[in-house]
Amino acid sequence: MTTLPLAGVPPAAPSFTCPMCGLAYQPGGSTCKEHGCPIAIGGCATQHCPRCGYTMPDESRSGAARLIRRLFRRGAAKPAHAGSLAELPSGSTCVVERLEGDPELLARLTAQGIAPGVSVHVLQRLPTFVIEVGETTIGLETAVAAAIVIRPE
Amino acid sequence: MDFNIETSGTWTGAGGAVLTPPVPSPKPRKIVLLGNPNVGKSALFNALTGLRATVSNYPGTTVEVMRGRLADGGEVIDSPGLNSLLPLSEDERVSSELVRSVRGDDGAVVVQVADAKNLRRALLLTGQLAQLEVKTVLVLNMHDEAEARGIKLDLAGLETALGIPVLATVATRGRGIASVTQALASARVPRNHWPLPEDVAEQALALLTASDAPSQQAEGLHARYHEALLAHAGTLAKRFASDGLSTGQRVSRRLGRLAVHPLWGWPILAAVLWVLYEFVGVFGAGTLVDLMENGLFHKYLNPWAVAAFSYVPWSLPRDLFVGEYGLITMGLSYGLAIVLPIIVTFFTAFALLEDSGYLPRLAVMTDRVFRLMGLNGKAVLPMVLGLGCDTMATLTTRILPTRKERLLAMLLLALGVPCSAQLGVILAMLAVVPFAAGMIWFTALAAVMITVGWLAARVLPGERGAFVVELPPMRLPGLENVLSKTAARVEWYLKEALPLFLVGTFVLFLLDRLHLLEVIIRAGEPVVTGVLGLPKEASAAFLIGFLRRDFAATRLFDMSRGGGLDTVQIVVAMVTITLFIPCIANVFMIAKERGWKTAAAMAAFIFPLAFGVGGLVRVFMQSTGIGVGP
Repeated sequence: MTTLPLAGVPPAAPSFTCPMCGLAYQPGGSTCKEHGCPIAIGGCATQHCPRCGYTMPDESRSGAARLIRRLFRRGAAKPAHAGSLAELPSGSTCVVERLEGDPELLARLTAQGIAPGVSVHVLQRLPTFVIEVGETTIGLETAVAAAIVIRPE
Repeated sequence: MDFNIETSGTWTGAGGAVLTPPVPSPKPRKIVLLGNPNVGKSALFNALTGLRATVSNYPGTTVEVMRGRLADGGEVIDSPGLNSLLPLSEDERVSSELVRSVRGDDGAVVVQVADAKNLRRALLLTGQLAQLEVKTVLVLNMHDEAEARGIKLDLAGLETALGIPVLATVATRGRGIASVTQALASARVPRNHWPLPEDVAEQALALLTASDAPSQQAEGLHARYHEALLAHAGTLAKRFASDGLSTGQRVSRRLGRLAVHPLWGWPILAAVLWVLYEFVGVFGAGTLVDLMENGLFHKYLNPWAVAAFSYVPWSLPRDLFVGEYGLITMGLSYGLAIVLPIIVTFFTAFALLEDSGYLPRLAVMTDRVFRLMGLNGKAVLPMVLGLGCDTMATLTTRILPTRKERLLAMLLLALGVPCSAQLGVILAMLAVVPFAAGMIWFTALAAVMITVGWLAARVLPGERGAFVVELPPMRLPGLENVLSKTAARVEWYLKEALPLFLVGTFVLFLLDRLHLLEVIIRAGEPVVTGVLGLPKEASAAFLIGFLRRDFAATRLFDMSRGGGLDTVQIVVAMVTITLFIPCIANVFMIAKERGWKTAAAMAAFIFPLAFGVGGLVRVFMQSTGIGVGP
């Protein structure tokens, strides 16, 4: 499962915990040059702990490491907005307050008639959401339902 | 009122009513049909043009556009369905380009087809047509369904408000068609009273009129634009259409709900697959193939051809046409007797599924499985179509929103989805091996598909698109539509496949004549016999498998019928040939869509994988004895 380009929390800056002394630090800072390391000038493929100096390969510079990381990549937690359609039980009806998220997704949803002020009826939540907007029935996944912010009727 | 509308007030309801004669204005030469998906645009097209239609690709694209002629000679163009003239896909781009071509052309009009039950969504498009200043006629189709729901439409009021002819039709029953033809001459530019924020209106118009959509635009412009259009469309719809009672719907709605039901959806899905198997696998691949092959070809055509060629004194032309690798005895009889009945039944079944509205519901049911493979439920459409023809399905991958998904779907199609011709042959081969052996074939295939999909989804860069799919009402498919669609697909398939069958046969014939076939068979021995444990003659089958894998499967089927293969060999051969690239046309199609580099990479990945998995299955079956049974 991959993440959807919906509005959510921006990815946290990657931090790295030193396996030797346990210090959490941000690799790739200017510390190398400050320490006067000669290979830091051209940019090197290693990182080292600013406290104990323990040196590790910089994974972000290794294609092989990135490949492995991707294999183990987990789907991020579903972004559910407070008061989004994703939280409604099946059988309920509500009014669209606004849409939030990826512009292309929003363009698609609005072109299908989902827009602020419109009444939405949730028919079911599984295997995917199925909603009724006027005379239109639309199937959408939870992450998309989370983009539709609602208020009670 | 700044418009004098000749047509207003003459309507007495759906169909039957006659328009007052329009003020003479030039008869339009070009009519573009435009509308949301599933509003009966094709039905109206058929009703307007009769059988005078041709299908062609829109210039520079592979999007198909239907063209036909009115009785008086005007050209009618059926554009792909779209929700907004700001295009989000290639199909929609074609439609909006067609609309642009009408702009400023005095002899051209747009006929906007709308679902009479869903005026609000239709008016979003009308608003855009008004902004583009295109001469328009608005047709509210499926008026009977709206009436059945108790929706009352004020056509005259709508005509006055929009300043264009507004007509009600039931295209499937031919009601109101004559008045559409009459109204064409009085088409007008819709009154542009859509209150849009100025910056939005300006930018949107720039996007609407540009032939190449500029990439630079305000964040969220599309959504803001649609929202503004919808707001006014909603007001208009409220004023001119009364609310219907959505409780009045019966069987179709109930069925539509059940088909995506978390519990009942599954038995329905199983039932659909079972009917598909019975119709295509048992009836098509069994009964019909038997009739064509044993009845027509073996009893009549082949003996006749052999008899006719026995008068030919030279052996070369004789062997070329009726020999072991004869164009008639092998090429034509494989292509027409074995493949044709299977694809006719498959495409008939597929057209029925398409027109019933079940396919989008299938996407809802299978979304989770496809998510595992980095795709979303929409990918089920090319996958199911792939069971008919992988090359055709490769084209259909365009419905997927992101590049990554299109690539993934293409890979999985090329790798593991057997096309109907091949599936038919495989089902026939399965009939002679124990059930467990058949399950090994299926399990191996499913495991390879899911593993490769899972890995590729993680290795390929890019994102998966969001899953949003509109579920049209379930409808009873129309016979005419199903038959014409099936005929068009079968024709396409035959044009694509039959020449390759003949070329493949000819290549084999040539190699046989030049005694190169033995050389190749010997060269293939280490892999075919060593790894797969098949008789060395199977090399010839795999060789033509590079052209078409169903052709190869047919050859293997022939071998197994002659008692040339045991159970393990049959399963190994089936697994290997299923994993082969479908056909050379598919490679061309992938190259066309994604470039030669991608196509070559896929081939380089798939062929070794096919032989490797085949070898593994052999080792597995021989060492465990599963499926070998009595």
